[in-house]
Amino acid sequence: MKNDFRLKYPLWMMAFIVLLAIIAYSLDSPVMEYVNNSNETSMEITIEPAKGIVLLVSLALYFTLLAIFLLQLKKYNRQNPTQKISAISIRPPEYLEQDEGMTYITRKAVQKVYTYITWALPILATIAIILPLSKLYIIYGILTVALGQYLIFYFEIRKHVKEETE
Amino acid sequence: MLKNRVKEMRARHSLTQSDLGKQVDVTRQTIAFIEKGEFSPSITLSLKLAKALQVDVNELFWLEGDEYNEK
Repeated sequence: MKNDFRLKYPLWMMAFIVLLAIIAYSLDSPVMEYVNNSNETSMEITIEPAKGIVLLVSLALYFTLLAIFLLQLKKYNRQNPTQKISAISIRPPEYLEQDEGMTYITRKAVQKVYTYITWALPILATIAIILPLSKLYIIYGILTVALGQYLIFYFEIRKHVKEETE
Repeated sequence: MLKNRVKEMRARHSLTQSDLGKQVDVTRQTIAFIEKGEFSPSITLSLKLAKALQVDVNELFWLEGDEYNEK
Protein backbone atom coordinates (compact mmCIF):
# COMPACT_ATOMS: atom_id res chain seq x y z
CA MET A 1 0.00 0.00 0.00
CA LYS A 2 2.77 2.43 0.91
CA ASN A 3 4.22 1.94 -2.58
CA ASP A 4 0.86 2.49 -4.26
CA PHE A 5 1.32 4.94 -7.13
CA ARG A 6 -1.88 6.74 -6.13
CA LEU A 7 -0.32 7.62 -2.76
CA LYS A 8 2.66 9.18 -4.51
CA TYR A 9 0.58 10.94 -7.16
CA PRO A 10 0.30 14.21 -5.15
CA LEU A 11 4.11 14.29 -4.82
CA TRP A 12 4.45 14.07 -8.58
CA MET A 13 1.95 16.88 -9.03
CA MET A 14 3.84 19.03 -6.50
CA ALA A 15 7.07 18.50 -8.44
CA PHE A 16 5.34 19.54 -11.69
CA ILE A 17 3.93 22.64 -9.96
CA VAL A 18 7.38 23.68 -8.71
CA LEU A 19 8.79 23.28 -12.23
CA LEU A 20 5.88 25.27 -13.67
CA ALA A 21 6.70 28.07 -11.20
CA ILE A 22 10.32 28.08 -12.43
CA ILE A 23 9.16 28.09 -16.07
CA ALA A 24 6.79 30.99 -15.27
CA TYR A 25 9.71 32.91 -13.73
CA SER A 26 11.91 32.37 -16.78
CA LEU A 27 9.13 33.47 -19.13
CA ASP A 28 8.31 36.58 -17.12
CA SER A 29 8.56 39.86 -19.04
CA PRO A 30 10.01 38.63 -22.33
CA VAL A 31 10.55 41.30 -24.98
CA MET A 32 8.14 40.62 -27.81
CA GLU A 33 8.29 42.18 -31.23
CA TYR A 34 5.49 41.54 -33.66
CA VAL A 35 5.80 42.77 -37.23
CA ASN A 36 2.91 42.60 -39.63
CA ASN A 37 3.21 44.71 -42.74
CA SER A 38 3.08 44.30 -46.50
CA ASN A 39 6.70 43.08 -46.60
CA GLU A 40 6.77 40.65 -43.67
CA THR A 41 4.90 38.97 -40.86
CA SER A 42 7.08 37.91 -37.97
CA MET A 43 7.17 37.60 -34.22
CA GLU A 44 10.31 37.73 -32.12
CA ILE A 45 10.50 36.84 -28.44
CA THR A 46 13.65 37.82 -26.60
CA ILE A 47 14.43 36.37 -23.16
CA GLU A 48 17.32 37.47 -20.94
CA PRO A 49 20.28 35.03 -21.24
CA ALA A 50 20.10 33.92 -17.58
CA LYS A 51 16.34 33.38 -17.78
CA GLY A 52 16.81 31.58 -21.09
CA ILE A 53 19.14 29.06 -19.42
CA VAL A 54 16.67 28.63 -16.54
CA LEU A 55 13.89 28.05 -19.09
CA LEU A 56 15.86 25.44 -21.02
CA VAL A 57 16.94 23.58 -17.87
CA SER A 58 13.45 23.67 -16.34
CA LEU A 59 11.83 22.54 -19.59
CA ALA A 60 14.33 19.67 -19.86
CA LEU A 61 13.59 18.73 -16.24
CA TYR A 62 9.86 18.99 -16.85
CA PHE A 63 9.88 16.64 -19.81
CA THR A 64 12.28 14.23 -18.07
CA LEU A 65 9.97 14.15 -15.05
CA LEU A 66 6.97 13.70 -17.34
CA ALA A 67 8.65 10.73 -19.06
CA ILE A 68 9.48 9.09 -15.68
CA PHE A 69 5.94 9.78 -14.46
CA LEU A 70 4.40 8.14 -17.55
CA LEU A 71 6.71 5.14 -17.20
CA GLN A 72 5.75 4.73 -13.53
CA LEU A 73 2.09 5.04 -14.49
CA LYS A 74 2.49 2.38 -17.16
CA LYS A 75 4.23 0.08 -14.65
CA TYR A 76 1.44 0.61 -12.11
CA ASN A 77 -1.26 -0.10 -14.72
CA ARG A 78 0.54 -3.28 -15.76
CA GLN A 79 0.70 -4.45 -12.12
CA ASN A 80 -2.88 -3.37 -11.34
CA PRO A 81 -4.97 -4.20 -14.40
CA THR A 82 -8.22 -3.90 -12.43
CA GLN A 83 -7.41 -0.46 -11.01
CA LYS A 84 -5.85 1.32 -13.97
CA ILE A 85 -5.09 5.03 -13.79
CA SER A 86 -5.56 7.19 -16.87
CA ALA A 87 -3.03 10.01 -17.40
CA ILE A 88 -5.81 12.20 -18.83
CA SER A 89 -8.60 11.31 -16.42
CA ILE A 90 -10.93 14.09 -15.24
CA ARG A 91 -11.43 12.32 -11.92
CA PRO A 92 -8.38 12.83 -9.65
CA PRO A 93 -6.44 9.54 -9.73
CA GLU A 94 -5.20 9.99 -6.16
CA TYR A 95 -8.60 8.98 -4.80
CA LEU A 96 -8.32 5.67 -2.93
CA GLU A 97 -11.65 3.93 -3.25
CA GLN A 98 -10.90 0.20 -3.24
CA ASP A 99 -13.22 -0.35 -0.28
CA GLU A 100 -15.21 1.54 2.33
CA GLY A 101 -12.22 2.08 4.64
CA MET A 102 -10.11 3.69 1.93
CA THR A 103 -13.11 5.69 0.71
CA TYR A 104 -13.49 6.96 4.28
CA ILE A 105 -9.90 8.27 4.52
CA THR A 106 -10.14 9.75 1.01
CA ARG A 107 -13.31 11.57 2.07
CA LYS A 108 -11.55 12.96 5.15
CA ALA A 109 -8.64 14.19 3.03
CA VAL A 110 -10.94 15.70 0.41
CA GLN A 111 -12.92 17.50 3.14
CA LYS A 112 -9.70 19.09 4.39
CA VAL A 113 -8.70 20.11 0.87
CA TYR A 114 -12.16 21.58 0.26
CA THR A 115 -11.95 23.62 3.46
CA TYR A 116 -8.52 24.88 2.41
CA ILE A 117 -9.70 25.83 -1.09
CA THR A 118 -12.78 27.55 0.35
CA TRP A 119 -10.47 29.91 2.23
CA ALA A 120 -7.44 30.09 -0.05
CA LEU A 121 -9.16 31.17 -3.28
CA PRO A 122 -11.08 34.17 -1.84
CA ILE A 123 -7.95 35.25 0.08
CA LEU A 124 -5.90 35.00 -3.11
CA ALA A 125 -8.53 36.92 -5.08
CA THR A 126 -8.66 39.65 -2.39
CA ILE A 127 -4.86 39.99 -2.36
CA ALA A 128 -4.83 40.20 -6.18
CA ILE A 129 -7.52 42.93 -6.09
CA ILE A 130 -5.95 45.02 -3.33
CA LEU A 131 -2.25 44.79 -4.18
CA PRO A 132 -0.84 45.91 -7.52
CA LEU A 133 0.70 42.51 -8.27
CA SER A 134 2.37 41.52 -11.49
CA LYS A 135 1.11 38.59 -13.55
CA LEU A 136 3.99 36.46 -12.23
CA TYR A 137 2.96 36.90 -8.57
CA ILE A 138 -0.64 36.04 -9.38
CA ILE A 139 0.58 32.87 -11.14
CA TYR A 140 2.71 32.09 -8.06
CA GLY A 141 -0.36 32.57 -5.87
CA ILE A 142 -2.40 30.13 -7.96
CA LEU A 143 0.44 27.59 -7.99
CA THR A 144 0.87 27.94 -4.21
CA VAL A 145 -2.83 27.18 -3.70
CA ALA A 146 -2.48 24.14 -6.00
CA LEU A 147 0.65 23.00 -4.16
CA GLY A 148 -1.12 23.41 -0.82
CA GLN A 149 -4.06 21.24 -1.86
CA TYR A 150 -1.74 18.36 -2.81
CA LEU A 151 0.26 18.80 0.40
CA ILE A 152 -2.89 18.60 2.55
CA PHE A 153 -4.22 15.58 0.66
CA TYR A 154 -0.88 13.75 0.74
CA PHE A 155 -0.23 14.26 4.47
CA GLU A 156 -3.80 13.36 5.46
CA ILE A 157 -3.72 10.07 3.52
CA ARG A 158 -0.16 9.34 4.64
CA LYS A 159 -1.12 9.89 8.29
CA HIS A 160 -3.75 7.16 8.10
CA VAL A 161 -1.73 4.70 6.02
CA LYS A 162 1.34 5.21 8.24
CA GLU A 163 -0.60 4.68 11.47
CA GLU A 164 -2.08 1.33 10.51
CA THR A 165 -0.35 -1.73 11.92
CA GLU A 166 -0.38 -5.44 11.16
CA MET B 1 -19.21 5.27 19.60
CA LEU B 2 -18.91 1.84 18.07
CA LYS B 3 -16.57 -0.55 19.91
CA ASN B 4 -15.31 -3.83 18.56
CA ARG B 5 -13.22 -6.88 19.32
CA VAL B 6 -12.10 -7.62 15.78
CA LYS B 7 -8.44 -7.69 16.81
CA GLU B 8 -9.11 -10.14 19.65
CA MET B 9 -11.22 -12.46 17.47
CA ARG B 10 -8.75 -12.24 14.62
CA ALA B 11 -5.94 -13.28 16.97
CA ARG B 12 -8.09 -16.14 18.25
CA HIS B 13 -8.31 -17.46 14.69
CA SER B 14 -4.61 -16.77 14.07
CA LEU B 15 -5.41 -14.50 11.18
CA THR B 16 -3.40 -11.52 10.01
CA GLN B 17 -5.11 -8.31 8.96
CA SER B 18 -4.32 -9.23 5.36
CA ASP B 19 -5.89 -12.71 5.76
CA LEU B 20 -9.06 -11.28 7.24
CA GLY B 21 -9.14 -8.50 4.64
CA LYS B 22 -8.98 -11.07 1.84
CA GLN B 23 -11.81 -13.08 3.40
CA VAL B 24 -14.14 -10.09 3.52
CA ASP B 25 -12.82 -8.43 0.35
CA VAL B 26 -11.28 -5.28 1.84
CA THR B 27 -7.73 -3.97 2.18
CA ARG B 28 -5.52 -4.66 5.20
CA GLN B 29 -5.66 -0.94 5.97
CA THR B 30 -9.43 -1.06 6.35
CA ILE B 31 -9.17 -3.90 8.89
CA ALA B 32 -6.60 -1.80 10.78
CA PHE B 33 -8.90 1.26 10.74
CA ILE B 34 -11.77 -0.84 12.12
CA GLU B 35 -9.62 -2.38 14.88
CA LYS B 36 -8.46 1.06 15.98
CA GLY B 37 -12.07 2.26 16.05
CA GLU B 38 -11.15 4.97 13.57
CA PHE B 39 -13.83 3.90 11.17
CA SER B 40 -17.24 2.31 11.68
CA PRO B 41 -17.87 -0.35 9.02
CA SER B 42 -21.13 -0.68 7.11
CA ILE B 43 -23.71 -3.30 8.17
CA THR B 44 -22.70 -5.44 5.18
CA LEU B 45 -19.01 -5.40 6.14
CA SER B 46 -19.85 -5.97 9.83
CA LEU B 47 -21.88 -9.06 8.90
CA LYS B 48 -19.10 -10.32 6.63
CA LEU B 49 -16.55 -9.86 9.45
CA ALA B 50 -18.78 -11.65 11.94
CA LYS B 51 -19.22 -14.53 9.51
CA ALA B 52 -15.47 -14.74 8.80
CA LEU B 53 -14.68 -14.71 12.52
CA GLN B 54 -17.53 -17.14 13.29
CA VAL B 55 -19.23 -14.96 15.87
CA ASP B 56 -22.50 -13.15 16.20
CA VAL B 57 -22.28 -9.57 14.95
CA ASN B 58 -23.38 -8.35 18.42
CA GLU B 59 -20.38 -10.03 19.95
CA LEU B 60 -18.06 -8.36 17.49
CA PHE B 61 -19.51 -4.85 17.53
CA TRP B 62 -21.37 -2.98 20.22
CA LEU B 63 -22.14 0.56 21.27
CA GLU B 64 -20.00 2.13 23.96
CA GLY B 65 -21.73 1.73 27.32
CA ASP B 66 -23.34 -1.59 26.42
CA GLU B 67 -23.02 -3.50 29.73
CA TYR B 68 -22.97 -7.00 28.25
CA ASN B 69 -19.96 -6.38 26.01
CA GLU B 70 -18.14 -3.87 28.20
CA LYS B 71 -17.61 -6.29 31.08
